[in-house]
This record gives sequence, structure tokens and C-alpha cells, in this order.
Amino acid sequence: MSKYGSVVTVVKEERCLVEALKEMGYEVEVHAEGARLNSYYSEQERKVANFIVRRAQLRGAFGDIGFARQPDGSLAMIADELDEHCGYGAKWLGRVQQLYKEKQTLAMARAKGYILKRREVIQTSEGQQVRLQFAVRR
Amino acid sequence: MQEKTITITIDEQGNSTLDLNSFAGQGCEKVFDDFRGGDAVKLERKKPAYYSNQEIEQEESRR
Repeated sequence: MSKYGSVVTVVKEERCLVEALKEMGYEVEVHAEGARLNSYYSEQERKVANFIVRRAQLRGAFGDIGFARQPDGSLAMIADELDEHCGYGAKWLGRVQQLYKEKQTLAMARAKGYILKRREVIQTSEGQQVRLQFAVRR
Repeated sequence: MQEKTITITIDEQGNSTLDLNSFAGQGCEKVFDDFRGGDAVKLERKKPAYYSNQEIEQEESRR
């Protein structure tokens, strides 16, 4: 054994984010220059995002959900505050990040020549975990 | 020689753990950085073997 670390996922790669949202069953609008999000209350502040899932696909949601490019290069989730209590809060975002991280890791590993040895899905008291094991190409 | 492996476990909160086995020194750091990607590090800990393997690597490079 040689090193252990824990990290918090930062969503940066557009392609992996779109793939993650698609795997969750959503169609994603991509707007390089950004597009407006629809909110429940028309007088709410107009929000703009680069990647948008429209409300029609989000069961029980009050508004659209988007991801907007930030000055530091990350993609932040933008949603109607009301939707935090409708199943589109931290837990929903965590699932997006979990799928994103898996896709981003697999893409990086392919590009850099790491070999995927095993993929496991583990049920724990804190939810589902995805475990990927890689080896180094000799 | 033991196979060098990397195990990444990704949870539903968007956190992940990286466990590198049989690596040492700079090689270990490079692989850790590859798998960390652009993510923010919460915890980073070198295991004893990191240093012991490094000594072996240094001795081998001296020969």
C-alpha cells in the first residue's frame, strides 16, 4: 500500500456531465453562450445556464435545472430554490456527480492507458457506491 | 513484484476515495494526480510503504 486520499468531485468536463444527465434519462440542451432557465415565479431573478434540463422532464419540479460555467472553469448547478425540497437538491446533485466522476475517470483512464480490471456496485447504509479498480500498463 | 493498482470508490454524495497500492515516490504522485483530475482534495495520506518502496527504488537506481 502506498497512498490514500479522498476528494470532492468538481464538475468541469462538459461531455461527461451531458453523458451523466443522459444516463439519468434526461435530454440536455447545450447552449455555449447560455440560455435562460424558466422558474415557477416569473418575477424571480432570471438565471442563465449552459446545460439545461427543462422542467417538463423533471417530475414535480417547479423550474428548469441548469449547469453554468463559472469563472474558475467549474460547472455549477443552478436551480429553483423551491426544487431543493422536491427531490432536486443535494441528493440529486450527488447522483449527477457520482455518474460524472465515473465517466470522467473511465475517459481519463482510457486516454492515459490505465487498464480497468473491475467495476463493482456496492450497497451501503449511506447509499450506492461505485468501485473501479485499475492497473498500470507495464 | 506486486501489481500496481488504483481503486477509486465513488459515493452518492459526489465524494470519492483513491487507494493506490504498490506505488512509491514520484510515480505515486503522478498517478494520484491523474485520478484526482480537477477535484478538490479533502484528505491525502501516504502509507508506510510509500517511503519503504521509495528507498528500494532509490537503491535500485544507484546500482
